[in-house]
Amino acid sequence: MTAITGVGAYAPRFRITAEAFEEAWGQFHAAGISEKAVPAADEDALTMGYEAATRALEAAAVAPSSVDWLAFASSRPPAAEEDLTARLGAMLALDESTTRQLFTGSTRAGTRALWACTDAIGADATAGLVVAADAPKGDPDDGVDHAAGAGAAAFVLERDGPAEIVDRAEYATPYPGTRFRNTGEDETQGLGVTQYDRAAFTETIGGAVDGLETEPDPDAVAIQAPDGKLPYRAAGAAGVGTDEIQAAAMVHELGDLGAASVPVSLASALADGYESILAVAHGSGAGADALMVDADGAVPAQTALEGDATLSYAEYLRQRGVVTTGPPSGGGAYVSVPSWRRSIPQRYRLEAGRCPDCGALSFPPEGACTDCGSLVEYEPVELPGTGTVEAVTTISQGGAPPEFAEQQARTGDYAAAIVALEDEAGTESVSISAMGTDAAPEEFAVGERIETTIRRVYTQEGVTRYGFKVRPAE
Amino acid sequence: MRDAYLVGAGQSDYGAFPEESYRSLFRTAFEAATESVPNGIDGEEIDEAFVGHLGVGGRQLGLSGPAVTEHVGLGGVPCTRVENACAASGFAVRQAVQAVKSGMADVVLAGGFEVMSDTSSDATKYWLGVSGETEWERLSGTTFSGVYAQMASVHMERYGTTREQLSRVAVKNHANGAKNPHAQLGFECSLEDAESAPVVADPLNLYHCCPTSDGAACALIVSEDVVEKYTSDPIRIAGVGAGSDNVGLFQRDTYTGVPASQRAGEQAYEMAGVEPDDLDFAEVHDCFAIAELLAYEDLGFCERGEAGDLIESGETELGGGLPVNTSGGLKSKGHPIGATGAGQIVEAFKQLSGKAGDRQVENPTRGLTHNVGGSGGAAVVHVFEKVQEVSA
Repeated sequence: MTAITGVGAYAPRFRITAEAFEEAWGQFHAAGISEKAVPAADEDALTMGYEAATRALEAAAVAPSSVDWLAFASSRPPAAEEDLTARLGAMLALDESTTRQLFTGSTRAGTRALWACTDAIGADATAGLVVAADAPKGDPDDGVDHAAGAGAAAFVLERDGPAEIVDRAEYATPYPGTRFRNTGEDETQGLGVTQYDRAAFTETIGGAVDGLETEPDPDAVAIQAPDGKLPYRAAGAAGVGTDEIQAAAMVHELGDLGAASVPVSLASALADGYESILAVAHGSGAGADALMVDADGAVPAQTALEGDATLSYAEYLRQRGVVTTGPPSGGGAYVSVPSWRRSIPQRYRLEAGRCPDCGALSFPPEGACTDCGSLVEYEPVELPGTGTVEAVTTISQGGAPPEFAEQQARTGDYAAAIVALEDEAGTESVSISAMGTDAAPEEFAVGERIETTIRRVYTQEGVTRYGFKVRPAE
Repeated sequence: MRDAYLVGAGQSDYGAFPEESYRSLFRTAFEAATESVPNGIDGEEIDEAFVGHLGVGGRQLGLSGPAVTEHVGLGGVPCTRVENACAASGFAVRQAVQAVKSGMADVVLAGGFEVMSDTSSDATKYWLGVSGETEWERLSGTTFSGVYAQMASVHMERYGTTREQLSRVAVKNHANGAKNPHAQLGFECSLEDAESAPVVADPLNLYHCCPTSDGAACALIVSEDVVEKYTSDPIRIAGVGAGSDNVGLFQRDTYTGVPASQRAGEQAYEMAGVEPDDLDFAEVHDCFAIAELLAYEDLGFCERGEAGDLIESGETELGGGLPVNTSGGLKSKGHPIGATGAGQIVEAFKQLSGKAGDRQVENPTRGLTHNVGGSGGAAVVHVFEKVQEVSA
């Protein structure tokens, strides 16, 4: 049997309301959504996936090194070609030999990953990590974009645990054109043939649920939610009540989470203590997965799904890069991708060095010890990512290096700090420059406590570089 | 070791000059320097040249020294380009002094140049901050305004330094620059102007930041053996000091001082056998308002933490006990990176020669110049002294 032993979920802090869309457009094309989550300019499916995955691993109390199977699922991975599970695995400190799978192509990718992990645990994997993250995007005047939210969920799966996947079935039949994005396109679209779209949705969902061995009688249903109304229209086909759908619905507050829609609902239902949960995902094409999860007892969960800042529609367009022009061309200061790669242990996992002569920490761990000046080989020390602001500024328009001009056009002013990061014992620290994220710049005053996370740092030559930033400590 | 003397110095105007090339600017500075030598000098008498240049824009990154010395007719003269960011030509002067003191040369040209205004604003941005620590400091989202703002944040937190005190640096330096015909921003500004400017990197606003500039400056350094040929009012380079440090601020021991400046200052005072009290004026590296305040403390003009009080007291204004940046400083006169250090020495030469016009300090005998690379990765200090008689 395969069981969920830890759950993590994450949504960005920004929200925009249906009213803001109505004000901008005269109408809002996403029924049943009152507000939705908006990814910050330095977030994407990979960074949101990292946020959810670190929480799931911590909840499950599973050491990253013992994870032997990893899946990353998104309908919009930040790169159309290039396997991001290598970077995700490194961010999470998984072993290089961990099996990695990438799932994409439709909003069903999240449950496809859960499905594959169930198979893997049924075979010879012992600890699987499924990460589903998404932030759909459409044309600004299209319903897909009005509904588009952002979020991620992650699950640790092992052979035994409090929440077992007891039954599953799938179903697929061709329904082209309901939701698609051709190669080279950035906006997801649909033909908008209302009855046809509903038929695709209900037939596949009904087909998958019908395929279950036991007729489900769930107390919560995590069902695909491209908007806030469609899930309820599928209640009949899925043979469930609307109350059970509402019990796990996240779409009303977070919007359409794409491939993370069902995973985030499932995560939230598990975190809320529901004991019998039906998870049914639909993906265009069309197909559906139905998974039945029985939980006896609490499933360890860490979720961060609350919003703390509401955007205007203009700010929404800026954050999403709809009305900005991209980075300036030019040359001068430059860090090559190979140089960046050499710093990945520091960028992702805060690998510092301890001087064997004087015991002081160095970051990055290279060159002569900044304390005693000895030219040494450092002992690697992984820092836990907590510390204090030592010096700080708020960078305003015009004060940013051009690598960050696009980000600043999108986010506005940001904090740039020097922070003292502590070691595990909390007795020693080492100073490093770091950009602030996840909070207004004024929250990074000298002396404030911070923690690190991983975000997009900048994109140059088409390659996005990820690395740690700091935010106020939770 | 032989003594070295400053016998001439001159500069181009600082500003934005679309009609000028880096070579034509250097020629203007070279001619101004040679013409300033009291008894005259011929290019053929120059044994060696050191030229400071960062390379903003990338137009002649390699061999940029010979590219300008050959242009002014010094073909064949050994020339070395010196790169130490904003301290490039301060270090070029130090190289010149070393060449003279060692006995390898009798007459040395030390200069610098930079052209920063002829590229698009996008391209210019790529060059701003290139002398910061690139991989970590820059990629945390800072150029130098951000790094100096970080220093200011700690200085304010620890010592109670205020935004108004930062603004007073701008007011003072603009008042001086308004009296300098070479200044790029040669206008006065009120305290209100300086306090209400748009924020660049909090707490620093536009008036707390120097401009980007085109310009060139040159100095002529000669040995005690030949100085009498060029002048009867010799200016001795009494003290030279230099220091370096981690390029990134985050790697340094302190954020509220520039250790390289402290080391450079101590060395220069020791060599000259003087103390800060013995100075009649100083040109310090005020790329940002906080940098001038840090310099007051690093160079011993006041105790640590008291720079805010010092600027407020008026002591460093023209007419005060120790006028600082009578030229207008980087803030008002301008900051063509590679030229800045040599340009400070032009002001020292003018003050000690009594040719500083409306901004003349009364009968000065001793002045200091202080030139910093980046946020303090390198610093160089010179002490100049008018002498009655050349000691041989």
